[in-house]
Amino acid sequence: MSNDALVLLALWLLPLASAILIFAFGPMLRRSAGVIGSGAVLVPFALTWVLAASALGTGGLKVHLFDWIAGFSFGLWLDPLSLLWTLIITGVGGLIHVYAIGYMWSDRAIARFFAYMNFFVFAMLTLVLSDNFVGLLVGWGLVGLASYFLIGFWFFKPSAVAAAMKAFVINVVGDAGLMFAVFVLFAATGSTAYADVFAKAATLAPATVLLACIAIFIGCAAKSAQIPLHTWLPDAMEGPTPVSALIHAATMVTAGVYLVARCAPLWDVSPEARALVGTIGALTALVGAILGIAQWDIKRILAYSTMSQIGYMIMGVGVGAYQAGILHFFTHAFFKAQLFLAAGIVIHALHDEQDLRKMGGLGKKMPLAFWAMTIGTLAIIGFPPFSGFFSKDAVIYGALERGYPLLSLIGVVTAGITAYYMCRMLFVTFLGNNRGNVPDVDLGIPAREHSEPHFGESAPAWVMGAPVAILMVPSVVAGWVVFGGRWNALFASDFAPKPESALATVLPEWLVGVVVLAFVAWGVAAAYHRYGSFDATVSAVERLRAESQRMAQPLVRAFYFDDALEALFVRPARAVGSAFMRVVDPHVIDGVVRDVVWLAGWIGREVRALQTGLVRGYALVLALGAAAFLAYFALIGASR
Amino acid sequence: MPSTLTIPWGNADWNAILPLGVVALTPLLVILADLLLPRSLRRSVVLALAALGLIYAGFLAARGWGHPYSAFGGGFVTGGFTIVFQEIVIAGALFSLLLATHLGRDDQAGGAVALLLWSASGAMLMAGAANLMTIFLGLELLSLALYCLCGLAARPSAREAALKYLILSSTASGFMLYGMALLFGATGSVQLSAFAAPAASPMLFTLGSGLFLIGFVFKLSLAPFHIWTPDVYEGAPLPVTAFMSVVTKAGALAVLARFAYAALPQANAQAILVPLWIVAALSMIVGNVGALAQTDVKRLLAYSGTAQLGYVVAALAGTTSLGLRYAIFYLVAYMFMNLGAFAVVALLSREHEEGSHLSAYAGLGYRQPVLAALMTFFLLALAGLPPTAGFTGKLLILASSVDAGYAWLAVILIVGTAISAYAYLKIVLAMYARGAGAPLQRALHPASALPWLGVAICAIATFVLTFYPLAPSDVLPLVK
Repeated sequence: MSNDALVLLALWLLPLASAILIFAFGPMLRRSAGVIGSGAVLVPFALTWVLAASALGTGGLKVHLFDWIAGFSFGLWLDPLSLLWTLIITGVGGLIHVYAIGYMWSDRAIARFFAYMNFFVFAMLTLVLSDNFVGLLVGWGLVGLASYFLIGFWFFKPSAVAAAMKAFVINVVGDAGLMFAVFVLFAATGSTAYADVFAKAATLAPATVLLACIAIFIGCAAKSAQIPLHTWLPDAMEGPTPVSALIHAATMVTAGVYLVARCAPLWDVSPEARALVGTIGALTALVGAILGIAQWDIKRILAYSTMSQIGYMIMGVGVGAYQAGILHFFTHAFFKAQLFLAAGIVIHALHDEQDLRKMGGLGKKMPLAFWAMTIGTLAIIGFPPFSGFFSKDAVIYGALERGYPLLSLIGVVTAGITAYYMCRMLFVTFLGNNRGNVPDVDLGIPAREHSEPHFGESAPAWVMGAPVAILMVPSVVAGWVVFGGRWNALFASDFAPKPESALATVLPEWLVGVVVLAFVAWGVAAAYHRYGSFDATVSAVERLRAESQRMAQPLVRAFYFDDALEALFVRPARAVGSAFMRVVDPHVIDGVVRDVVWLAGWIGREVRALQTGLVRGYALVLALGAAAFLAYFALIGASR
Repeated sequence: MPSTLTIPWGNADWNAILPLGVVALTPLLVILADLLLPRSLRRSVVLALAALGLIYAGFLAARGWGHPYSAFGGGFVTGGFTIVFQEIVIAGALFSLLLATHLGRDDQAGGAVALLLWSASGAMLMAGAANLMTIFLGLELLSLALYCLCGLAARPSAREAALKYLILSSTASGFMLYGMALLFGATGSVQLSAFAAPAASPMLFTLGSGLFLIGFVFKLSLAPFHIWTPDVYEGAPLPVTAFMSVVTKAGALAVLARFAYAALPQANAQAILVPLWIVAALSMIVGNVGALAQTDVKRLLAYSGTAQLGYVVAALAGTTSLGLRYAIFYLVAYMFMNLGAFAVVALLSREHEEGSHLSAYAGLGYRQPVLAALMTFFLLALAGLPPTAGFTGKLLILASSVDAGYAWLAVILIVGTAISAYAYLKIVLAMYARGAGAPLQRALHPASALPWLGVAICAIATFVLTFYPLAPSDVLPLVK
């Protein structure tokens, strides 16, 4: 094996080794687990740079690990696409690990936390580095598992456990879709390696490709919180904030973007799949942004904004503007991580208070959080020259270029709404007077359970401050890669050349940019008028109460997605389940037997005598089964 | 002129059944030892003798590899297929003995071990049985010993389990015997190999096949014929439950596979076997849904066994040669992950109280981190997550059923797997949840080195098999 291959292997396995180490020696390590855990992510970050040159070379860096059975061989593949993801996972991930040392400082289970976090990083690296669909599937499943553990990390909170369960359930739906896609592709091409499958993509039947694309996208939609499978993401905010930043903002939830970009050769030959994925992405962007308006929980606002921004990315890669979608992933990772970490500082300082209405006037008390949040907000709303401006613009214009003007328009409108709800959050949190001592009732906050805030000694401020400060730099400048230079090579993956639509020749990119900016300006101005101006801050308590009480029902119920899923799947499943249970479980079967017995009029007094009754019931089931068997055999026997 | 009576078989025939002869005769030594030795020594000597007998039989059986032979006028065939199943039976029996080191009463040990070995010899006979007589002989030898074993434990549920098993199993045997009679009537032969010829009465033949299949579907506890399993597993002593969950299944599967692959006439084999695939599909759903509601780990494993055997039978769909290899691979994988889980239950058990209720697992992750981690591993394997043999096995079964044109079975398998994740995860959650009720402070039994050995072997095998899907390729030609 070449040196590069060994380095790649090392950077892939280091987080796993560290996770095992921390898990095994956790009680002894306590806080030093955080240092080890962070190191096990930052060292791979450095190692990734070592490999950048060979990854950007022709064909990327390939490491063949072992052959399994025919058609299944395992290997790692570092090409520009996976290089970009690896850099973000280890770079942003490393910073979040450092931050988490401070955030989890007084948590007794800090070692377990870092073991899970490192395990997640390993799983995510497996997902992006695998050179075949089976490895991808393994990584895909493992990140889901890690996410499940981390959302439910505070298992003493029932809401956290429920959220973890929900995330798991929806992700299993996605996993099943993806697994099905892999089988379709394997059946059609006889291989699971990306290279083999994509080489044959153009020769496959269009229906097969479409089926595979749809099945893949079910996986992507579940993992990346696209409608209608997005409902788990806001709930996932029950996890510790570093988890939200790493898994539910910067990395795992963008796995769907990665996968669509990775499977570009499939999407390139299926226009229907393109239209479907692009549309879902655009709708998700819009729905997420609208729901962001109605939230009071600072992390839920960020969650909906994540959903909305991933909608942009999916729209980008869906319509074929791969570079644009990936660029938006790149910039989003920085500014969204920064927003979450800044929110974490606020939440931490307020002892787990997450409701905007109880905040206000924090700008002076927490200057770092304020500036970080401001820069992050400017970046996410696409204010030039902050990073989000370039990438969002690229996605919107990319959709236009490829002949999807309607999606482009949705993107423009969404940009305006994004500006509104993000500025709302910023202004309500940091401007005006502090409302921490105003009673809940006066602010229109419904009765809620107060969890015991865990006071404890705090980490030195720089532990949490430094990562936030560092992230500010890329939040501003990351978008500048569009001007060219060495960084641009990261986005130089082999994608099909872009076609120019008729509309794009008429509308130049700068004009679209100006239109977007006009919408953004409108959003900022509206938010300022309602929440930021002097009048608004003076009467904040009354205004917030009024708004809480008059919030439109569809927004409060998040457009009834949860209710629809509940009515469509959960309730029928429960009904079928309980009916089924009566048939399946012997302890319940006696009831069924009684029904049957009653129907047939064979009533006997001793039916209630449990044991004999059970045996009789079992024999009845056997006899019925045998009768069904025999009916079938009599039929085929007679037909011969 | 008086015809001379010649015995139509010789040394080669006796050699063919030597392995199972050893397993069937070892109990005589076991009983003798049980009678003569002082109480304190009994259990260990008896277990050691039985283990030695099994291992020796394993060697003898392995020696026959590559020497297919049809013994006793076609009543018993040996060779690759038979040997694979015999080794599975022997391994399953050995693991069950490992679990018996501290469970049950000392004075019952001799009798119980003897019965267990006789039962195992029945399964070994089924592995090679090639006519209806030997099949029935093997099956009854297997079952009769088990009826007694099920009733061994001192709790009332044990006797109830034994009685239920006896009644229901006899019913199933009745169906099967009737089926055998019809098969004989239709073909005029008891030899499986004679069934391929066109039957005199197709109607009788198909009906006979159907009744015959019912008997084995019952033994494999596939839904809806699984109904007896949870109660019997719950009531029987833990080592016996472990034994039933593997050895009975291996024996029944061997007969079923031989019947499906080698006996049925090619023309209507697929039509006759359709109910089998439906039953497999039902099992995958019913087994996993049933497992969801259980709070007793033995009951849960009973339902899970139904689902797992559903996967195995699904691999046979379309009776492709690859399918049979994958079914065998999955059976082996199932043996390890399932017995691993049983061994953990054994480690948590006391002499008269089995650690199978879910409450025994609350907070186990903190009291016994290694044990809990291993249990998690086995459960994840049963759920089919990587990196475990369960994952590999399921992948192979999916591939083969899609290949054979049974994509709907593959879809049901995926759905079943998704459901099963919850059932298994419930135990994992219980082990790692803190503060859910007062955790039982229970130390491990001191004399538990041997179950640990079982746990270790199962864990290693479950892990290693992930990467080496051993599926003996020369099994198939030897089915007949």
